[in-house]
Amino acid sequence: MAIHIVVAIKQVPDTSNVRINPETGTLIREGVPSILNPYEVHALELAVRLKELHGGTVTVLTMGPPAAAEALRECVEQGADRGILISDRKFAAADTLATSYVLATAIQALDAELPVDLLLFGKQAIDGDTAQVGPGVATRMDVPVLSCAIKVERFDPVARTAVIHRRVARGIEVVNVRLPVLLTVEKEIAAVQRAPLANMLRAVNFQPELWSASAPVAFDPAQIGIKGSPTIVGAAHTPSLKKAGERVTANPGAPAEAVAAALAARPHGGGSCLDHHSGGTPGEAEVSPKIIVWGVCRSPYD
Amino acid sequence: MPDTLKFDAIVVGGGPSGLASAIIMARAGLKVVLFERGRFAGSKNLFGGVLYTSAIQEILPGFMAKNPPFERPVTEQGYWLLSPDSVVRMMHRSEQYKVEPAAAYTGLRARFDEWFARQAVAEGALVIAKTAVIDVLRDNRDRVIGVRTDRPDGDVYAPVTILSEGVNNLLTQKLGLAQGDLPPRLVALSVKEVIGLPQATIEQRFGLTGLKEGVAIDLFGDATLGLPGTAFLYSNKTSISIGVGMLLEMFVEHRLRPHEVLARFKAHPAIRPLLAGGESLEYGAHLIPEFGYDRMPKLYADGVMVAGDAAGMVDAMHREGTNLAMMAGKFAAEAAIEAHSSKDFSARHLQAYRDKLEASFVMKDLKQYRRMTDFLDGTPHFMKTYVDFVNDAAMRYFNAHDMPKRDMEKDIVRSLGKRRSFLGVAQDVMRLMRGMGL
Ligand SMILES: Cc1cc2nc3c(=O)[nH]c(=O)nc-3n(C[C@H](O)[C@H](O)[C@H](O)COP(=O)(O)OP(=O)(O)OC[C@H]3O[C@@H](n4cnc5c(N)ncnc54)[C@H](O)[C@@H]3O)c2cc1C
Repeated sequence: MAIHIVVAIKQVPDTSNVRINPETGTLIREGVPSILNPYEVHALELAVRLKELHGGTVTVLTMGPPAAAEALRECVEQGADRGILISDRKFAAADTLATSYVLATAIQALDAELPVDLLLFGKQAIDGDTAQVGPGVATRMDVPVLSCAIKVERFDPVARTAVIHRRVARGIEVVNVRLPVLLTVEKEIAAVQRAPLANMLRAVNFQPELWSASAPVAFDPAQIGIKGSPTIVGAAHTPSLKKAGERVTANPGAPAEAVAAALAARPHGGGSCLDHHSGGTPGEAEVSPKIIVWGVCRSPYD
Repeated sequence: MPDTLKFDAIVVGGGPSGLASAIIMARAGLKVVLFERGRFAGSKNLFGGVLYTSAIQEILPGFMAKNPPFERPVTEQGYWLLSPDSVVRMMHRSEQYKVEPAAAYTGLRARFDEWFARQAVAEGALVIAKTAVIDVLRDNRDRVIGVRTDRPDGDVYAPVTILSEGVNNLLTQKLGLAQGDLPPRLVALSVKEVIGLPQATIEQRFGLTGLKEGVAIDLFGDATLGLPGTAFLYSNKTSISIGVGMLLEMFVEHRLRPHEVLARFKAHPAIRPLLAGGESLEYGAHLIPEFGYDRMPKLYADGVMVAGDAAGMVDAMHREGTNLAMMAGKFAAEAAIEAHSSKDFSARHLQAYRDKLEASFVMKDLKQYRRMTDFLDGTPHFMKTYVDFVNDAAMRYFNAHDMPKRDMEKDIVRSLGKRRSFLGVAQDVMRLMRGMGL
């Protein structure tokens, strides 16, 4: 049974190349090459693999500046059938709320044309790291969302179900879900394969379908761009490097004392980390297995 | 075989020669596909560099209207002769350099090649990046009928293929048109850095007024530790291109590390102040073919032609390469177009390519400087001896010494005699003249 998969992508500055203006805390985007957000590279790959298995169509969608056409072209090289660029000055300065409105509305229009079985998003964009747009779209469209998907164990377009593995803090969750579903994916979801030459030849003359704020879908002017974006960035700062943790060796009889002493030795130890909260066992801290001491780890992103 | 994989012509390599040939062939209505292994044309390329508009005009008449991404016109150029602590500058500056378009512009290849590729696309060529050609396909009579790319289902076919693969000419070697690997005696290795500086700083340091002026300096002597080789210093809009190159053999023989040679050059008292406060934006190395006319690969065979660096078309004397590459690309394209109209892609027919090259400055210059590599090779002391001598002579000449000028002049001659016997000098001059084809 032919399936329809929609992949939402974002063109981002290559943050492995990016510098941050120390005064303003903002990215210096000038001269930084743009790339397809790495998670979406893998989302697309999954879509293409599923299409190869079941037949059907992969539609790629992005809201962005005209230059984002290049990211769509890359998707066509990798096997997408259709690329839509939603681009209009009126969309500028959109936050995740406005972006999810636009993408959800666009996908609903696509769904009316050809029912969508699977929606794929990257886990997060490497320039914003919010991870909000995928879930935002799912909520607006009233489809289930599974974030941080790492594997599609089964995908059955006839029974309209799928079995998805997703990464959670304490391990892996295996979920049986009804289609359509929206996944935000990790890189493990599908290994990137080298595109066949025929795809390259097809992509070379690719031009995206251009959607504006008013056609072919009339977006609600109040919900797009700066008007539809209530987020205010109060301040931005460059995270400082997290220092390596320290190992506290304690007498098996009195672990708490050792920890207390170690903390006391660090008067501004608010961020010191006795054990990294990895979701598993408390690492190698040599404390009695009955008394587990969790340190507070501040992620550089919170 | 599906029609989508059949073309009128295949070009390997998105440098100046490959793109020039793609432009000319596509304009003539041929269905052309060009493969470039880099992320985009230019992404892997590096040169000094100075671009010559006469060649660009041959490929793209009226190119100035297409906004070529030049850096600065070259309005002052010449040589600096460096001794360890001095420099003699021989610079030429002229109002005539200021007419537009200038004869030469400085440029950066990542930008220029990318622009040139866009012109090829506009003419109708399919430019496929991120795709390397790994083999040449031949029929049972050894005629080239296509190429194999590194992609799944990656074979494509055409009755004629132009190899513009650059100095590292693996496919040319594979076809047996070039003999074996590149010997270190016949390639130069160049290291280059692009150093960012504010526009005003560059203009102040090089005595330029605005973006309509620029310098191109080639340096000899201490820049390469007195060994045969050259260095360069070119002004861009907001950066300086600086680099140094020598025959690969020299690096090996003297156990020199390329980046150390560049670092040493940058620290020279005449150079360091020009770069002060700059930020390193780019660093890279590249080979330059110094095959010489007599050791060029065979330029054509049934269904295939070799152009540009792949064929050793560089005039190191005048740091010309891109222009030779473009002209060769054009001639190869014309031969391919003629082959299509007569439906004859045999070597005998493609000989037209070589004939066109021979009739042009490309082969005439290469022929004239055919013994240049031999000269450098056979006279390794040349740079050190004479560059140091010139600096020494200048020191004596420009100072008052409370001695008769006649004696000063004798001193200068004697200082040469100390460096080299009269016979040695005569021999060097003879060799130099032979190297220059005089
Ligand atoms: C340090 C330095 C300074 C120079 N300065 C100057 C200067 O000032 N002025 C000047 O005119 N010239 C200069 N040159 C010479 C000039 O750069 C070359 O002569 C010119 O680039 C040759 O053009 P080309 O198209 O033959 O090869 P290249 O420019 O080398 O292009 C070859 C292209 O082919 C691609 N390629 C190779 N193999 C494959 C494959 N198998 N499949 C797909 N793609 C492939 C490469 O990625 C590359 O893009 C300089 C060179 C160097 C190294």
